Order: sequence, then C-alpha cells, then structure tokens
Amino acid sequence: MLKAHNLVKIYAASGVPVHAVRGLDLEIEAGEFVAIMGPSGSGKSTLIHMLGGLDPRTSGEIWLDGKRVDTLSESGWALLRRKKVGFVFQGFNLVANMTVADNVELPALLAGTSPREARERREQLLDKLSLSDRAEASPGQLSGGEQQRVALARALANRPALLLADEPTGNLDSRNTRDVLRLLGEVHRGGQTIVMVTHDARVAALADRVVSLLDGEIVDDGRIPRRKIAGAGEVIDLR
Amino acid sequence: MSTARAATRWISADLRARKGQAALTVLAVAGILAALLTGATLLEEGTNPWRSLFGQTNGAHIWIHTTERPDVWRLRELDGVATSAGPYRSAPVTLVQDGKRPQAALRGLPAQLPEVARPQVQEGRWLSSEQPDGAVVERSFARASGLRLGAPLTLNTVGGSRQVLYVRGIADSAEQGFYPEWTPGLIWVLPSTLDRIEPKHELSEWVTGLRLADADATQVVSQRVLVELRQVERVYTWREVRAAMELDNRLLGTLLALFGVVGLVAAALALANAAGGRVLGQLRDLATLKSLGFTRGQVALLLVAEHGALGLLGIGIGLAAGWVLPVVLLGAGAAAPLPVLAIGAGAALVVLAAVGLPAWRGGRTPPIPAAPAAPPRGHLSRLARLALLVRLPPALVLGTRDAFTRRVPAFLTAFGLAVPMMMITIGLGVWATLDGFLKNPEQVGQSAALIVKTGKLTQGQAEELIAREPGVERSYPGSTVNALAPGEARSVQVRAIGGSREPYPYPVAEGRGYSQPGEGVAGQGLLDLLGVKIGDRVRLTVGGSPLIVRIVGRVVEPDLDGQVLSVGLDTLEAKDSVPPGYHALVLKPGADPGEVRLRLLSASQEGLDVQRVVNPAERLGVLRPVIAALIAVLALIGLANLLTAIGLGLRDHASDLAVLKAMGLTPRQVTATLVTATGLLVVAGVLTGTAVGAATVTGLIDLQGHTSGVGAGIGRPPAAATLVVTVLAAVSAALAVALIPARRAARAHVTTARLTHGVPSGRS
Repeated sequence: MLKAHNLVKIYAASGVPVHAVRGLDLEIEAGEFVAIMGPSGSGKSTLIHMLGGLDPRTSGEIWLDGKRVDTLSESGWALLRRKKVGFVFQGFNLVANMTVADNVELPALLAGTSPREARERREQLLDKLSLSDRAEASPGQLSGGEQQRVALARALANRPALLLADEPTGNLDSRNTRDVLRLLGEVHRGGQTIVMVTHDARVAALADRVVSLLDGEIVDDGRIPRRKIAGAGEVIDLR
Repeated sequence: MSTARAATRWISADLRARKGQAALTVLAVAGILAALLTGATLLEEGTNPWRSLFGQTNGAHIWIHTTERPDVWRLRELDGVATSAGPYRSAPVTLVQDGKRPQAALRGLPAQLPEVARPQVQEGRWLSSEQPDGAVVERSFARASGLRLGAPLTLNTVGGSRQVLYVRGIADSAEQGFYPEWTPGLIWVLPSTLDRIEPKHELSEWVTGLRLADADATQVVSQRVLVELRQVERVYTWREVRAAMELDNRLLGTLLALFGVVGLVAAALALANAAGGRVLGQLRDLATLKSLGFTRGQVALLLVAEHGALGLLGIGIGLAAGWVLPVVLLGAGAAAPLPVLAIGAGAALVVLAAVGLPAWRGGRTPPIPAAPAAPPRGHLSRLARLALLVRLPPALVLGTRDAFTRRVPAFLTAFGLAVPMMMITIGLGVWATLDGFLKNPEQVGQSAALIVKTGKLTQGQAEELIAREPGVERSYPGSTVNALAPGEARSVQVRAIGGSREPYPYPVAEGRGYSQPGEGVAGQGLLDLLGVKIGDRVRLTVGGSPLIVRIVGRVVEPDLDGQVLSVGLDTLEAKDSVPPGYHALVLKPGADPGEVRLRLLSASQEGLDVQRVVNPAERLGVLRPVIAALIAVLALIGLANLLTAIGLGLRDHASDLAVLKAMGLTPRQVTATLVTATGLLVVAGVLTGTAVGAATVTGLIDLQGHTSGVGAGIGRPPAAATLVVTVLAAVSAALAVALIPARRAARAHVTTARLTHGVPSGRS
C-alpha cells in the first residue's frame, strides 16, 4: 500500500544542513495501523509529512498503491490527497471562520461530491462521532476533544485509503485522548490504513505495529500481538 | 467546478467573519470610482452641453457684431461659408428685477424661426406677431434672473425709457455661453417690438452668424471677415462659446480626476494591505486548505477571487454612482459608455494587480499547517536599549520595537495612510484657496466690490454721489472695450481702468503694474493666446483705430479665462474712454458692499445702476461639498489601512502578550505597547502625507490656474492651524480606533493552551 525507500530529508536551515530523516525504508500493508514513535527531533513528523506530500523529500522514493508519488508536483500531491489521504494534526487545524459542518463538508466538496451527498456524509460522520448537535457551532466554541473529533471527521470525509495522524492526542487530556483513540480504533476496524505519529506509549499501544525512530533512522519495528489490545489507557510494556 | 464550490464556502465564511472590513473596502473603492468617473464625465467633451446645443440649433460657427448692418451676401460668398443667420439688430437693455439690474441684449428675430442658429424653445412658444409684447428669454439667463413663463419683463433702455414685455417662451441657444459667465443675457423679441422699444439705431448693433462647411476653417474665415467688414465691434467663434460652457465643469473635473487617480492608487494600496494582512493572518488556514487538497494555484485564485470580488463590487457600485451623480447633481449629460468601460476595466486591473501579489504569496504557503507563522524576531536596537536605560516607559520602547518588526507591512501602513492624508491636505488647500478668494478678493483682481454705471444720471451727478458715500475708499473710472488681436480671429477684452498715474490696485503676479500711458498688464490667458511675454508690445485694433500696448506685468485675472488686457484709461483714445463706462468702487475695510449699494441706490433714487462684483469662489461653491465628500472617502481608505495594521499587529504580538504579562507589565502597559506600535506608524504616515500635501498643494493649484488662464499665484496652502487640527484629529481618531482592540487583547486571559491553538509555537 505505502512504501518508502531510502527516504532522506535534509533541512538547510540557516546554511547548516540538518539531517531529519536519513535513508529510511518502510513498507506498510493495506489495513495496517502503524504508530511511529520517537523522542522530539527524531524526524517522525517530517516522515509523516513526507508520506502525505506536505513536505518534499530530499531523495528517495515513496510509492502509494503501486504508483511512485515522490516525483509528483505540489499540485499533483494536492490532487492525490483529495481522494486518498486524510490528515489529522496535533493542533486540530479547523478553519476558524467556518462552521463544524462546513469544515467537514469541505474535503468532500473539493473532491467533486455533490453538495447533497457531502451533507449526507457529514451528517453520518458527525452522528457517529456524537457531534450532530454541534454542526452549526464554530470551532472556537468546541472543546479540544470535540475539535479533534471534528478534524477526524473531516479527514474521513472522502473515505481516504490512508489516514495520516500527527500527534492527534498531543493537546488532549486523558479522557479526550481515550475518545479519539476509540474512534481511530473503529476506523481501523473498518479496514482503513492508519499511520499515526505519537510519543505516548499508551497511544502507540493501540496500533498493530510500532516503528521507533531515533535521529532520522528506524531503530525498532515491531508488531504488537492483536490480542494484547484489550483497551486504550492500559500501560503496555514495549520491550 | 468542485473546487469552486469548496472555495465559495471558504470565501463566504471568511467574508462573514470580517463584514465591517469588507464593507469598508467596498465603500472606499466605490467612492473613488465614483469620483474618477464623475471627473472623467466632466472632462469628457461629450458632456459639454455645447455639442448637443450646437447640433440641435444648427448653430453658427462665427458670430460678428458690427455697428452697421453688414452686407450678408458678401459674407456668404466667402470661401468656406455655407449659410448665415441674421443680421439681427440688437440693443442693450437693463432688466429691472428684484433690485438687481442684469444687463441683457434685446435681439430682433423674425416670427419664423431661422434655419441657422435656431433657438430651441424649451418652454412656452416662440415669438408670434399676435403677441407683440412677447419675448423669449435664453434659458440660463431666465434661470439666473428667476424669470418664468408669463412673468413681466421690465426693461430700461440706454435712452432711459422703461418698457414692459412678457415672457412667452424660454429657449436654448448655442450662440453664446451661459449667463452669468457670459454677459449680457439674451432676450429675443420681434424686430417690430425692438423698433418700438429702442427706436434709435445708433444705440444698437448688428449681429450676424456664419455657419461654415468645415468647423476647422473658422480661423481662416474669421480673418477674411475682418478684412471684408469695417466697423467690427466683436468677433467670436464656437470655440469661445464651447470653452465658456465647460469652464466650471473642467475645473471640477480636473479636481475629481486628480483625486480619483491618486485615490485609486491609495485604494489599491489599502486593498493590497488588507489582502496581505489577511493572508498573513490566515497562513495556518491556508496551509490546512492545502493539506486537504487545494493546489497552490487554487489557493491563489481563491484569494484573488475573495479580495478581488470586494474591489470589483466596489467598482460596480462606484461606476453606477459615477454614472448617475453628474446627471443628478450637476445637470451634465450622462457619460459615454466607452470611458465608463475603460475606467471600469482599468480600475479592475489595478484591483486585481493589488490583490494578486498577496494572493500569490498565500498560494505559496507550505501545506504544513503547523509551520510557524510568527513574525520575524526583531531585537532591541541600541536606541531601544538606550531608551530603556534612561527609563523611558517600557510600553513606549516595546511599542516602538513592535512597530517596525515587519518592515514591509510597516512601510505599507505608513504609506497607505500618507497618501490619503496628502490628498486630504490638498483638498483643504483648495478649500483655503476658495476662502482666500472670498476673504481677500483683491488678491484675485477684485479690489472693487461694486461696479457703478451712471444709468439715468449724468456723469457729474454720479461722481458726486459716489464721492459723498462714506463707505467708498476710492473710485476708479473704467471702460471695457473689445479689441481685435492681430492674426487672431477673435476679440479680446481690453479693460481700461484708473489712470496710469493712479493705477487700479491689480494683484501683479509677475513684472510690475502699469505706470504710464501705453503700458498694460495681462492675464495668463491673454499671454498664452497671443503668445507674448512680459516686456513684449502688442498691437490691437479698437473700433478701427490701433492700440499699441507694452505688457509690463501679469496679473491674476479670473474673468474670461484670463484673456483680458488691463490698461490705464488714458491709454485708450478719448472716443473710447470719455465718458467712462463705469466706476469701480473700492470700499473701505469693513464696509458692507450690500449696504453701500443700497445707500447709493436710494441716494440716486434708483437712478444709478450699482452691481456687486461676482466672486469666482461663489461660482465654484459646488467644489466645497465635493471636497468634503472626497475627504470622507479618503478617510475611509485610511481607516481600512489602519484596521489592517491593527489586525496584523495584534496577530503578530498575541504570543508576546502572555510573555509581557509574565514579565510584570500591567494590562494598561500592554495596551499602551500595542497602541504605541500602531500609533507610531500612524504618526509617521499622517505627518509625511500632510507635509507632502502642504508642499505640493500651492503648486498644483497654480498649475491649474495657469492652464485655466487665471494664472499662477492663486494657490493657498491650508492654514497652519487647520493642518495642526487635521493632523491631531487624524492621529487621535486612529489611536481611538486602535485602543479598543488593544484593550480587549490586553485584558483577555491568555493561557498557554490558547497560545498553542492560536499561534503555533513551532513544529513538534
């Protein structure tokens, strides 16, 4: 489904080259839920941004659904993201001026769905995330957890094959974290491929597989046995 | 299509979030466009009433006034002459009307309307032999004198008899300019009626109009006419008539066009500022849009559409207003569609160019919404550190630093305020110049407030009455004659007034006043017309005899486009100057012209004919509301720029607020910091704009004076007190506007959580 080969990212900040990702190889199967862990500055955000085309790679290859995508232009990536990639960010990034409903319908409209279909899909999603009554609220009126649920609804609006989540629970308290993780679990059970960046071991425990980064390189890549996922919030000892 | 739907949602949501600013932008652009279009309409020839009047009346190109009846057949045989009108006998009369005594020419026309120069009856009907006491009055004269259909028309002839006619019709004519710019007023009567009212033929003149096959041949033909005819009193052509009709419209049009063009630049700048500020404030939202799948081009297009739409809406409203305003307010004809389209298209291009750059920058936003969009970090300059060392209030120092954190927006804000302020100063200068005309008429060549003609009295009686009047400082005898200029197919006015030894107090702008016979001073219009300069001699012909005058100076001359030569009465031959045609009365300081006039009238038992001199500022009164409206629009533009700057400043410094509070600044000090940051740019912009405006206004008005013939030397900068008040008003209004959001921001409870939501602190 998603494959990265010898992926390198070098930032040339103020003249000094910084190697954020150094020759990384990664293969993710369809339907997999992968958590990418690592300390601050290990390159995990950079990696997920490159995988979604938000940040261009310096060298290396990215393949999505059997097609090479790292050579796409910025616009090419944008078109690809509309249909195939959904993003969830740590800061939620809801468009502040738009209502919850508009935020969720926006990607569907962008992908060419009719306004009626977009509305129906939005109603379904918000219903599922128990946000129906907040449809006409503005993002500023919502709590952090609610905002992240809306962001998740927005990312899922086009039923993307790949959901990329960058620290989705980083700004949330434990109750909201639990809610969001429960939703991610449901999405995953629906067959969606999810790649999630986190530095929280409890959050990572929800995934099928945990990839650990350190200084831009993979230092560990291991699967978590399925049965161990009894519930989110449980402390899991990761070797 | 799909993108359009998504984009529309985003645009409408964003516009809803900033209704006030959007409305301000639309209003400012609309106001500027209306001014621009009105200016162009007034400048455009199509709106000059002369063209349609000339067409409707099948007008004559050349008008000749002679003392004797000319042989019209000889004139018609001249090369280039197609047909002729007249000759009509014309007698000077004075209309007795509500205490005013306007001069009029009583012209004998047949009951059958002529083919050429046919007056166009607008109300009532044309002359008929069944109504021998009927008269038809030219429309502008009727309006100025308050004459309606059926009103009695009491006329005093030169001989002193009083006759009453009745207004049977009101008609338009292209024979002469509008009253009161063009005097005398025009009244048509049947030739038999004219003979009854003024039987003496020596007191009248003959007026002949020539219609040419080709209007461009006017110059050549009128020179031939001068050669053919003797006893020519006066010749004028369609060009003078056209110029007279467009006089005020041109000045107003120039003013509006100047304000419109500069205002458009200012509005475009305001729009670019607003769009740029908005884009900076929305970098995160734009990045989010890109992460959702908007391409770079689509984001840029979306921004152009949003901000451009505001500008285009303003342009639309402005064009509509500019189309209607000249018709409603000034009675000018509607603008031709071509200039409207050209102005609209040009303004649309300017608007799109103005929003294009910020939109392009917005499109280039990296698609990572978490990317920091914080302002470039400045550091305390040496000056600022010194300021802190000498214990200036910290709010002042920090505000000063903040003001210039973003150099380009800071410059654009100051510049965006300076341009409207410059134009406001220029507007105030025009206002001050008009005030100057009114307060010091002697500076525009109008030392005399009253013109007295002897009327029924003898010269001696009149002079005695004037001498007894306590309000009169001095009386200058004068005569006005028409002179033919060599090589010019038209007459110019020679005003002989005062003696060469005791010259009339003209405001001499260049050279000196006349001091001996044979010397004269001229208005700029005359110098330009004859192509002469100070020191040159001109040779003119007055009533057949030559008049040679050395021009020794240029005076400010508001009459007849400045095409007036002024000499001492003793420069004219005795036949033209004795007795003098009138007395120009210079009043004592403080004497009221109206009272002096009434006293003279009652002392002479209404025998004297006393007229007040019309100040050019009274004619230009329409400029004042126009200036006020323009200042309002410019203030809107300034306000739009200010709001952008405040919004950007608050956004940039939101993260600093918590830090400042943590450092121990009180909310009041935080407010002061924010207000100082905006206020400094305001002060810089306002002061620069005012200085530039004050420095250029005199030159601009003089330039306009030069081209209109009045001559340089009329421009007045606004008074220092006015400028100080304006600057203070602008700055304090700006500070008041800045204070409200600053206070709100300073009192808001800023938490770190909100900080991370509102302004990302960096990438994780």
